[in-house]
Amino acid sequence: MKRAFLGEFEEIVLLTVAVLGESAYGVTVTQEIEQKTGRTVGFSTVHTTLQRLGEKGFLSSEMGGATAERGGRRKRFFTVTAAGRRALQEVKQVREELWGALPPQTLQLMGG
Amino acid sequence: MGQGAGVSREKPCPVLPAPCQKAMKPTHRHPPTWAQKLLEAFGDPNTLEEVQGDLLELYVHWVETVGERKARWRYVLSALKLLRPLAKRRSSEQYTAPFSFSPEMIRNYLKIAWRNLVLHKAFTAINIVGLAVGLATCLLIVLFVTHELSYDRYHAKADRIFRMTTYGLVSGKEIKTAYSGVPAGPTLVHDYAGVEATTRFDQAGTHIVKHNHDSFKEEHVAFADSNFFDVFSISLLKGNPKTVLIEPNTIVLTETSAKKYFGEQDPIGQTLTVGERGLFRVTGVCQDVPSNTHFHYDMFGSMRSIELRNTWLNSGVYTYIVLRPGYSIAELKSKIPELVRKHIGTEIQQLFGISLDEFYRKGDELGFVFQPITDIHLHSDLESEVEPNSDVKYIYIFSIIAVFILLVACINFMNLSTAGSAGRAKEVGIRKVLGSIQQQLIWQFLSESVLVTFMALLVAIGMVALVLPSYNQLSDKQFGITSLLTGWMLPGILLSCLLIGLLAGSYPAFFLSAFKPVSVLKGQIRAGFRSGWLRNTLVTTQFVVSIGMIIGTLVVYRQLHFIQNKKVGFDKDQVLVLHDSYTLGAKGKAFRDELAKLSQVVNATQAGYLPAGASNNANDGFQPDGGSDQSTIYREKTYYIDENYLPTLGIHLAQGRNFSKAFPSDSAAVLINEAAAKRFGWKTPVGHRLWSVGNGQGNRRLYTIVGVVKDFHFESMHQQIAPLVMYYGADNYQMALRIRTTDIPGLLKTLEQKWRAQSDNPFAYSFLNERFNRIYQSEQRVGQLFGIFAGLTVIISCLGLFGLAMFTAQQRTKEIGVRKVLGASVGSVVALLSKDFLKLVVVAIIIASPLAWYAMSRWLQDFAYKIDIEWWVFALAGFLAIAIALLTVSFQSIKAALMNPVKSLRSE
Repeated sequence: MKRAFLGEFEEIVLLTVAVLGESAYGVTVTQEIEQKTGRTVGFSTVHTTLQRLGEKGFLSSEMGGATAERGGRRKRFFTVTAAGRRALQEVKQVREELWGALPPQTLQLMGG
Repeated sequence: MGQGAGVSREKPCPVLPAPCQKAMKPTHRHPPTWAQKLLEAFGDPNTLEEVQGDLLELYVHWVETVGERKARWRYVLSALKLLRPLAKRRSSEQYTAPFSFSPEMIRNYLKIAWRNLVLHKAFTAINIVGLAVGLATCLLIVLFVTHELSYDRYHAKADRIFRMTTYGLVSGKEIKTAYSGVPAGPTLVHDYAGVEATTRFDQAGTHIVKHNHDSFKEEHVAFADSNFFDVFSISLLKGNPKTVLIEPNTIVLTETSAKKYFGEQDPIGQTLTVGERGLFRVTGVCQDVPSNTHFHYDMFGSMRSIELRNTWLNSGVYTYIVLRPGYSIAELKSKIPELVRKHIGTEIQQLFGISLDEFYRKGDELGFVFQPITDIHLHSDLESEVEPNSDVKYIYIFSIIAVFILLVACINFMNLSTAGSAGRAKEVGIRKVLGSIQQQLIWQFLSESVLVTFMALLVAIGMVALVLPSYNQLSDKQFGITSLLTGWMLPGILLSCLLIGLLAGSYPAFFLSAFKPVSVLKGQIRAGFRSGWLRNTLVTTQFVVSIGMIIGTLVVYRQLHFIQNKKVGFDKDQVLVLHDSYTLGAKGKAFRDELAKLSQVVNATQAGYLPAGASNNANDGFQPDGGSDQSTIYREKTYYIDENYLPTLGIHLAQGRNFSKAFPSDSAAVLINEAAAKRFGWKTPVGHRLWSVGNGQGNRRLYTIVGVVKDFHFESMHQQIAPLVMYYGADNYQMALRIRTTDIPGLLKTLEQKWRAQSDNPFAYSFLNERFNRIYQSEQRVGQLFGIFAGLTVIISCLGLFGLAMFTAQQRTKEIGVRKVLGASVGSVVALLSKDFLKLVVVAIIIASPLAWYAMSRWLQDFAYKIDIEWWVFALAGFLAIAIALLTVSFQSIKAALMNPVKSLRSE
């Protein structure tokens, strides 16, 4: 199977969903990213990314029960799929390999 | 990708996350409505719900963190970014059973249906041809029936126009005539406010119409009141509708006749010579009278051109009245006795010599009956109708036939589908295992049958187009293929086809889709056999219809044969009738004498009155002499004949003598027929005397009976031979010649030369036996149609039977193989396969015979002279049915029986 490419923002969103666990939906993901990264993120960007990840098969989603707030509208909860987890693992592995390949003196220069 | 691997999730956290809690605080601030609406309209429909919810939640959060203004700004920005105007709703990714009518499913139904039809070409062909023949027949009958039902409905005031007809009962004899007295119409308009208008017309026989040197015989000339075109919706193409028929000697032509006389010239202001009525000026041109009208005239002269006796009795014109909207005909009907008393009392006094009260006391009656104009064509059968009308009976008969034929064709379809179901039981099982729900299977099968129906419809329309010319000839109508496309016809046809398809497919659909997959796949259900009883019932029904139709055809043909060959009391062969001899005027007598001298002519007579075809008609009142003053008046038919009439027509005398020139007193002599002798109650009528009380006002004349002629059929066989009184005189309307020659063309040539020497009018003739046969034209037409329809029904039934036999043979291939290996002969195998079908046919004969007997004896009741339905008719029909069925089935049985068992046993 062709390895799906995972963009930087996609990686953050996917990770955030994984972090939030069972309460991952549009609003919480947006707020979590804002809080953790400190950058202002548009809801629309997050929404679009969530959709794209769903299409790539990294996220599955399910509608929650009806809520009294939000005008009675349901929330769409996201879960990381097995494929999503694998993709995250791979990204992490690539990073670690790269970090590991870094000569120690370079690492020191970077103030690590 | 393994996206289905998500763990099952519990409902959202019981402890709400922070944003949710904030949102619960009541807030009256809302994000901009227009942005909400925009999102609603153009957002991606697949994610709209959660996006709207998320944004609303975020908005509340933003209001609390960055203030309302910024929050609104952010909301609008996000909403705009989330617009996906081109997004379409995606079908749910979750696996749910698709909606049975989604376009995808319908496309799939049709695809599978098409594959199945192509796979079983023979069955499909049988199905389509059978159904197409049925549909084509139905379409033809529908064309006929709708045309018959449309008569006179096109008049704008059709619901308010009534024809005023006369009803009377004089001395026990009913008088029902289509016309009423000349003053009747105008009086009604004058006396009763509810009557808006009246129009009258009179048809005054045939006229030779001349323009310069062209002359034509016109049989359809009427003289009409000036408001004729106001009452009837026949549009005037040229001329002023208010004034065209006001002046005397003015005439309106139909488009066709205007072309005939004047070509491309403008006919207005031109003149025509109409018979002896003189010169007429053309004042208008109207459209041709629509075919669905109860009269078809080619010319309308003005009423004032002819003289009419202005009396209520002994005169008559066709009278139509228009009621005011809201005025009911019942109201007018209740006024009739008052009207009769006021206007007709004195005339009755004059005519019968008794007062109206005495007239009533004798049990006699006189009144008027109003017929809705739309009822005339199908429901009216009065004396002196404008044209012979049709009969609603035939509408019923043909509609029933149409339904039957369609039924038989549908049964074919159902039978073949259920029979084929064994082959498809496995398919149903697999489909069910793969998740089809019953509803989808039902629609699968229904779509197949609907597809077949529509293919059959296409074929049927082709067939209709092909046979339409001959059908028009047969039914005496002018239909084009476009008649099928006008008005509600097309949608009606399509809708009924859909219905037929659904109906015919319903049994197989529900039956097949109800299979249990497990038992089907285990092979426990042999579906083809389980539905046996139903198939048998259906086949029997088909044959009941077919056999009934065969019996009907036989009876109709026998009856036609009977009336055409029954001794009519005159010799109808070798009699030539010369038309329009009245145009010769005074020269007529000399012309007759001249013709009588010809060697090929045995005798000649001036015969205005003839027992077949166009003839004059007269009625007179008679009172036997010697009775009391109050003795009953009989109203009887009368003839005017000369001394050559009886020998020419071969009518025999029972008593007395013929008229003769040798007796000068014969001007006061009459001949009567045997029926009249019986009516007056005389054993030896010769010498008895009769008063003729024809015209009232002291016009009583005394006649002596000099002879009695044997009864002859001077009316159709529908009626008993009526009493007839024959005066001595001559009616010059036409001439009859008894001829004796084999060279008829030569004789005709001679006659034409002699005619041309006397007259410049067209030479026209006919043969008496042809005229006689034409009386029964409508019966002949019914006979022919019945025969054709019976043939079609049988063909369709046989197609079905053929398909079934084919199927059975296929089903039992193995069995036959085994039987043959064990030593069965070809004959025994054929018998085995044919036996089942023959049983059904025999049952059908038993059911059909009494039904057909009942129906046909009802039909025969219309004839005063009729055949008995004999047992052999049923035997013959049964024999025919068995023979046809056997032929159909044996083709397949023999094929199956001859098959080499090695082949049949080797399969699988």
